[in-house]
Amino acid sequence: MVYGLTPEEKEKLERFKTKLSTFEKNRKNLIPILQSAQQEIAYLPGQALELAAGHLDIPISEVYGVATFYNQFRFIPPGKYPIKICLGTACHIKSSDIILENFERKLGIKEGQTTEDRQFSVERVACVGCCALAPVALVGDALYGKMSPSKVEGIFTRIQVEKEMSLRVHSENESNQ
Amino acid sequence: MNRISEAAPAVRLAAVQEKAREAISQHATLPKIEIGIATCGIAAGALETRSAFEQALSEFNIKAYIHPVGCIGHCYAEPLVKIHHPDSGFPPIFYHEVHPGKARMLVKQFLGGGDPCFEHIYGAAQTNDLIPSVSEFARFNREVRVVMENCGRINPEDLFEYIAAGGYKGLVSAMEMPPEEVIRKINESGLRGRGGAGFPAGIKWRMARDAPGTGKIVICNADEGDPGAYMDRTILESNPHQVLEGMAICAHAIGAQKGYIYVRAEYPLAVRIITRAISQAKESGLLGNTILGSALTFDIEVFQGSGAFVCGEETALIQSMEGYRGMPRCRPPYPVEKGFDDRPTVINNVKTLASAPAILMKGPEWYRSVGTEGSPGTAIFSVVGDVVHSGLVEIPMGITLRELIFDICGGIPKKKKFKAVQIGGPSGGCLPERFLDTPIDFDSLKQAGAMMGSGGMVVMDEDACIVDVARFFIDFTQNESCGKCTFCRIGTRHMLDILKRITEGKGKEEDLMLLQRLGEDIRDGSLCGLGKTAPNPVLTSLRYFKEEYDAHILEGRCPGLWCRHLIAYYIDLDKCARGCDVCVGCCPTDAVFTTSTRKKGIDQERCVKCGECMTACPPDYNAVKKVSPAHLAPVIPRPAGSPGEH
Amino acid sequence: MAGPDMDMVEIVINGKNISVKAGRPLLETCLSNGIYIPNLCHVEGMTSPPASCRLCFIEVEGIPAPVPSCVTTVEPGMVVSTDTAAVRKLQRTALKLLLSVHDIDCRNCPVNRKCPLQQIARFLKIGLKSAPFETRLKKDLLDDRHPFFNYYPNRCVLCGRCVYLCHRKNGYPKISFAGRGFGAFIRIDLPLPDDAVSCHECRECATSCPVAALRLK
Repeated sequence: MVYGLTPEEKEKLERFKTKLSTFEKNRKNLIPILQSAQQEIAYLPGQALELAAGHLDIPISEVYGVATFYNQFRFIPPGKYPIKICLGTACHIKSSDIILENFERKLGIKEGQTTEDRQFSVERVACVGCCALAPVALVGDALYGKMSPSKVEGIFTRIQVEKEMSLRVHSENESNQ
Repeated sequence: MNRISEAAPAVRLAAVQEKAREAISQHATLPKIEIGIATCGIAAGALETRSAFEQALSEFNIKAYIHPVGCIGHCYAEPLVKIHHPDSGFPPIFYHEVHPGKARMLVKQFLGGGDPCFEHIYGAAQTNDLIPSVSEFARFNREVRVVMENCGRINPEDLFEYIAAGGYKGLVSAMEMPPEEVIRKINESGLRGRGGAGFPAGIKWRMARDAPGTGKIVICNADEGDPGAYMDRTILESNPHQVLEGMAICAHAIGAQKGYIYVRAEYPLAVRIITRAISQAKESGLLGNTILGSALTFDIEVFQGSGAFVCGEETALIQSMEGYRGMPRCRPPYPVEKGFDDRPTVINNVKTLASAPAILMKGPEWYRSVGTEGSPGTAIFSVVGDVVHSGLVEIPMGITLRELIFDICGGIPKKKKFKAVQIGGPSGGCLPERFLDTPIDFDSLKQAGAMMGSGGMVVMDEDACIVDVARFFIDFTQNESCGKCTFCRIGTRHMLDILKRITEGKGKEEDLMLLQRLGEDIRDGSLCGLGKTAPNPVLTSLRYFKEEYDAHILEGRCPGLWCRHLIAYYIDLDKCARGCDVCVGCCPTDAVFTTSTRKKGIDQERCVKCGECMTACPPDYNAVKKVSPAHLAPVIPRPAGSPGEH
Repeated sequence: MAGPDMDMVEIVINGKNISVKAGRPLLETCLSNGIYIPNLCHVEGMTSPPASCRLCFIEVEGIPAPVPSCVTTVEPGMVVSTDTAAVRKLQRTALKLLLSVHDIDCRNCPVNRKCPLQQIARFLKIGLKSAPFETRLKKDLLDDRHPFFNYYPNRCVLCGRCVYLCHRKNGYPKISFAGRGFGAFIRIDLPLPDDAVSCHECRECATSCPVAALRLK
């Protein structure tokens, strides 16, 4: 699927452009530049790769080749609620793949993908470092330990409830005004 | 003024030590609450625990000093808190799994009322007459801490605490001797590289010192990629200055002015802490120009690795720092001759560099007195899996696997039987029970078919499937293969395909021979260490656990009842309670149905074998059973017209 | 290139004494002395060969395991064998692995009968089959975005000659490796209008491709 840049992302791309000028024109800065782009925009759209190539005066294929080599870089936007499943060794032997499967089934996407409404994305990550809590899942920054399929359901219920509550607060504020 | 500027480094350090003493004495009289706040602690909720302490302290109007420290390595007990309340008459006490509720209670009752809440105590931090001390527990007293000595004891964001604990004295001793002497000491200590291969650090430093060329470089390799190892991160997060000190010692020894710490971008806390440590060290004259008033100039930068397991290999690491794809190249030339920027470069693991200060301070003889003749010093393992006291363990080389797993880490939980231990992560091997008396050192492990590797250790009980563990590691390495050379790029993929086939019950008898031969060719034919060691988990498990492979292939049976294609869940109707609906409610795919007798059955076609029903079934009934091969499960027909029928 | 490195020395290859230039890679030395060693990724005169195809193995007395000859240089008194059982075993496996990701459709292939994979298979006395390894072809059959070239991922063996030669000829590569591991592939930049070097004139990448993975349109 091809994602166009949202107006917000266009703004972020502009901010990255300004940041870019602070990097010295040195091939050694390629990875730091890509990291800075991703930090700003949350993923690497084609435009960001072009800007990086232009700044360092190297072919785009080189930039693309480097960016596609490393796990850190992503080429599709993450969801509003990025879901990360720890696939460290300890989590694996506590059946983390079943947890991953439950998220995938629930959302109808595969690992590495984002839902069409850009609300959720699912990815695997390296050891999060709390092996005693295995298996572990992260939703945004919130960590959920000792995961089980029924907890997956619970997480979605929680997100739904939080959303509705914030909507209610929002509409109450509006009606108060 | 003049005299001070000419003072020896020791005098300069004494001035910093004085400042440190002053800073620390400020809160010496207050009760102290120590909370481990490294990544693992935070994951277990340490930040919430800290705010709970803060709130409770202000609520009950009690004055205490909250002392954030790094990670002590006892993951099973996180969030771990140590409280010292001198006026209470009790020694400092450890509390484990301190969540906000417990935090508030401890403030109210212990700090406020003098009652240490005995039922929640983990152990006292010192020997005393009142409370059993943790030093009586094997998990504490059998460890020997050289590298992690101060991890979990000092605030990693405060240079003064490291100084007060004796920090940077090793650097001063090094600076008081000529570089040759430093290298000789490291050589004599027998320190071997802790990145996995065990190359003698002294020889590496010697080669870099002797290499022609200017602008030599020290790189600290913190690109920890093993999916089950996290000691490098813990050290950087818990005691960054020890690593910086080790790098500065190396710089003095080889004549380098520039250093880099190559740390994974996935470790944001480590990046933040180490960056801060560098600037603190510079401010105090411990890094930068004219270190401690001497002619030594050494500066350190942080480089964030973008996540590629292969970048732990030194030539690939250099490629990525230079802005290229992290593909290893043939050696020679070795990085000590031609490394980063084509300059002579020493690349050492975090633990290797962090060992240097103690060696310089206490001498090579002391270091040799720990560990074994061929592998002096300590080893750090992250012990995970089916083990009671999981976490980071630093032990002297030479103790046996049995001592480590059963004595120190408490053995296997739930009275299950030990099946295997996987050592060294994706490059290591899987050893059965008869190897439990193997001493842990570089050479013995290698002989047994495993390796020290990154220090990842996974303990498996009888319910684990060896074939699946081998598949897990090959899946990891094939995914992390850089794709440069034929054997690793294509060969590991075929190994994965074969193993997948076996775990799905579609294996053929000749697959085992094929795995063996292909594995050997990948080992012998690959370009770099990643490829050469990638088949190890498969080759060792084939050697020691062939019967498990046979069971999968010949009988369609998974002995650990693990491989989902080979197992089935069913409900024992004699045990199932009429009218209990727990399993129906928890099934994510509506596979559980109600029979005409109101007992339950499982629709095998819908079942995804997540095991949720088995967990949910009340222990009194214990009606959900698991079998392998799958066809052994009795068939319970779904009544026509029942909900969920398709 | 005069200098002490280029002195002539005596070595033994497959039992015969030969006088060769010291410091030269053994692969080039053997090939120019009429001793064939299978190879794909090497280009004559490379200063740091990638050693990635893993076909040019040889055995050298004193080194316990086979080594790639492209990165092993001639030293006086060396005793080299190019045809031991261990060498052949690795070479056969490497070739079969390459064939398992290669679309073996020789009759419809423009380099039929000139293809190094065919030559190496004949040399190693194995058929053009990947068995016992199953064929694993990529989903994408053709990349035809470029105005002058087509790229066929399932013919490509990732030898990297195109990347190296484009770089050598044009000073910077307009073609490079992308992706990682089993999914790695070759990616060509679309030429820019004001490009100093016209891909149309150069064609180095397509002419150097041994397996017709890069073809002129």
